[in-house]
Amino acid sequence: MNVRSEIGVGLGHLARWGLRTVFRRNASQLPGRIALTVDPDIISRLAKKLQKGSIVVCGTNGKTTTNNIIASAIEAGGQRVLCNRAGANMAPGVVAALLPGSGADWGVIEADELSTVNIVPELKPKLLVLLNLFRDQLDREGEIDRVQDTIVRALASSPETTLLVCGDDPISMGVARRAAEAGMKVLSFGIAEDLHLPPERVPEGAFCQVCGTELVYDYRAYAQLGAFRCPKCGFARPRLDYQATNVHAGRSGVEFDATCIATGDQVHLRANFGGVYMVYNLLAAFAAATMAGVDPKTFQRALDSYSPANGRLQHFDVDGREVVLNLAKNPAGFNQNIQLLLEDKRPKATYIVINDNYNDGRDISWIWDVDFERLAGEGKSLLVLAGGLRANDLQVRFKYAGIDAQIAKDVSAALEAAKDMPKDQPLYVLTNYSALWPAKAELERMGKRHE
Amino acid sequence: MNSAETTSAPKTDAPTLTIAHLYPELLNLYGDSGNILVLKKRMEWRGITADVREVHVGDTPSFSDVDIVFIGGGSDREQKIVCDFLLQQKDELKAYVEDGGVLGAVCGGYQLLGESYLMGEERVPGLELVDLYTDRGTPRIIGNIAIRSDICEHPIVGYENHGGRTHLGSGVKPLGEVLYGQGNDGITGFEGCLWKNVLGTYIHGPLLPKNPGVADWFISRALERKYGKGAIAIEPLDDTEELAANKVMFDRMMASRKQED
Repeated sequence: MNVRSEIGVGLGHLARWGLRTVFRRNASQLPGRIALTVDPDIISRLAKKLQKGSIVVCGTNGKTTTNNIIASAIEAGGQRVLCNRAGANMAPGVVAALLPGSGADWGVIEADELSTVNIVPELKPKLLVLLNLFRDQLDREGEIDRVQDTIVRALASSPETTLLVCGDDPISMGVARRAAEAGMKVLSFGIAEDLHLPPERVPEGAFCQVCGTELVYDYRAYAQLGAFRCPKCGFARPRLDYQATNVHAGRSGVEFDATCIATGDQVHLRANFGGVYMVYNLLAAFAAATMAGVDPKTFQRALDSYSPANGRLQHFDVDGREVVLNLAKNPAGFNQNIQLLLEDKRPKATYIVINDNYNDGRDISWIWDVDFERLAGEGKSLLVLAGGLRANDLQVRFKYAGIDAQIAKDVSAALEAAKDMPKDQPLYVLTNYSALWPAKAELERMGKRHE
Repeated sequence: MNSAETTSAPKTDAPTLTIAHLYPELLNLYGDSGNILVLKKRMEWRGITADVREVHVGDTPSFSDVDIVFIGGGSDREQKIVCDFLLQQKDELKAYVEDGGVLGAVCGGYQLLGESYLMGEERVPGLELVDLYTDRGTPRIIGNIAIRSDICEHPIVGYENHGGRTHLGSGVKPLGEVLYGQGNDGITGFEGCLWKNVLGTYIHGPLLPKNPGVADWFISRALERKYGKGAIAIEPLDDTEELAANKVMFDRMMASRKQED
């Protein structure tokens, strides 16, 4: 390291110590920001601390969960890991994650899609995991084409990186196709069977990434993910390198067989958090962890002890009522949450919270692409409440979905509105990004967290 | 209407409006399906039958029995796919507009109405339905917007996100005057266009849910064209939620405008 980066690292450490010790704050960003200001190349210097290399995880939905499971699994195998677990996924957050300690075996890094171009060329990871790409935060990220271009550019400057991509997602495969053309190694994962799920509204990716013809599907898992092919030019789901079969995905958990085609190894995986999207997250995490030398038993053990503490599908008990908290920040995520909610056959309440702060995206027109109409079928067995800075917009959205929703200013008010419901009927709290932490803090204050 | 006609048309015949939604699978960037949903519900709540026809790529639609045409916005990639198909409908659409056909166009759809627009550096010909054209400016205009328009009582609020700058021909009226945000070009202080029964705008969010007056403008224009002026009165609806959502955003914009002053 040169003097400049030593100063950068030193100041970063100092800021981290100050935030944690003096101000008792979470040091997930600021130390990194300071270190980056002093030494813009600091990520590539810090990367040298990682003896075996790094894994970067990106994708619109599921990256925090997937990244943290990979980190936990590698740690469970006895290796040392540096990881941005709290989900601070732009360059400063990555620096802050890599600052502590003298070294580690692996860096396991979540990256915001547009930040991959600042992170991947510096870190030169062994593996870049691309989970999925959905339309999200159009005001900040721009159109999805721009996100694709950015990831392609990031990969171009790190040619040794292997891309592990969701083969079921035509939009992610659009990126993979360009990476493969540039000579990069691409591995794919996906669900290799028809799950016979009710069709979802697909707001994007319905057209071929190469020639623009409408794609056809043998079957779909959710949103635009499935066994797709272009009838005209041959763009199609690839032969999957990692496959999930015998999939059982419900509200209370998922289980499936994961097969690595190259080795023929097959293992049965299960987890007590639900949803089809979780099958993809777990399969990707399994593939990545395996490549980092984790054996299947250790991976399953890590899954068994993994309990999300970051507001993703967290369960609480508030005075005897079950409250389920989850992040949902775009149509694809919301539609998956609605599916989970409908699989819970109990009468229930749901409190949906949408903010429009900068990190949420200020444009919330996407709420009209969410299939809230599916909730209308629940009738009186579902109480719907709206909250957040855009509670009124949500209320209008529900009105046109045929649902009469009241406004509740916070989780306490939502629980109060649901007070006449028997205690064995749950409340689902679904929030977008900046609304998640306040809801989580409120629930932690009011209730017991349970596993 | 004389009494003989009244008896020959039984009262049970509910008025019907047909909406043609152009390429919903491609032009759907900013919750445009919400606009169609709002039109449909506001008709049904008044006992008007709403017949929504989706026009897909490869279809050869006729607009002769259509009462409202709606064109949303797409990403550059998707808009490019649509463009060729849409230009094949140019004459048909032109005849529809000249005949007083009601047409709504948002964002990319708005740009398509004109003589041409820029995609990257490439000049793409438009439908030439309205005397306007679109070029490009920097930076991209992104943010909340509020305008005052003659077509409805309340301000129109929503979101704009466009690199294009749209210039209206001298005979074309803007939809309204910008109170907050940028509008057509960020300079003239106007937003959108009104030409015959065509309404074009950059405002999405989508456009109609928080602006029930605009939704009702489309419905009443279409009823008037199909059934004659005053033949079917458009009944007021309870818009408490819609107007509350409108007011929250309008007040927020006005408060931040004051801060900026």
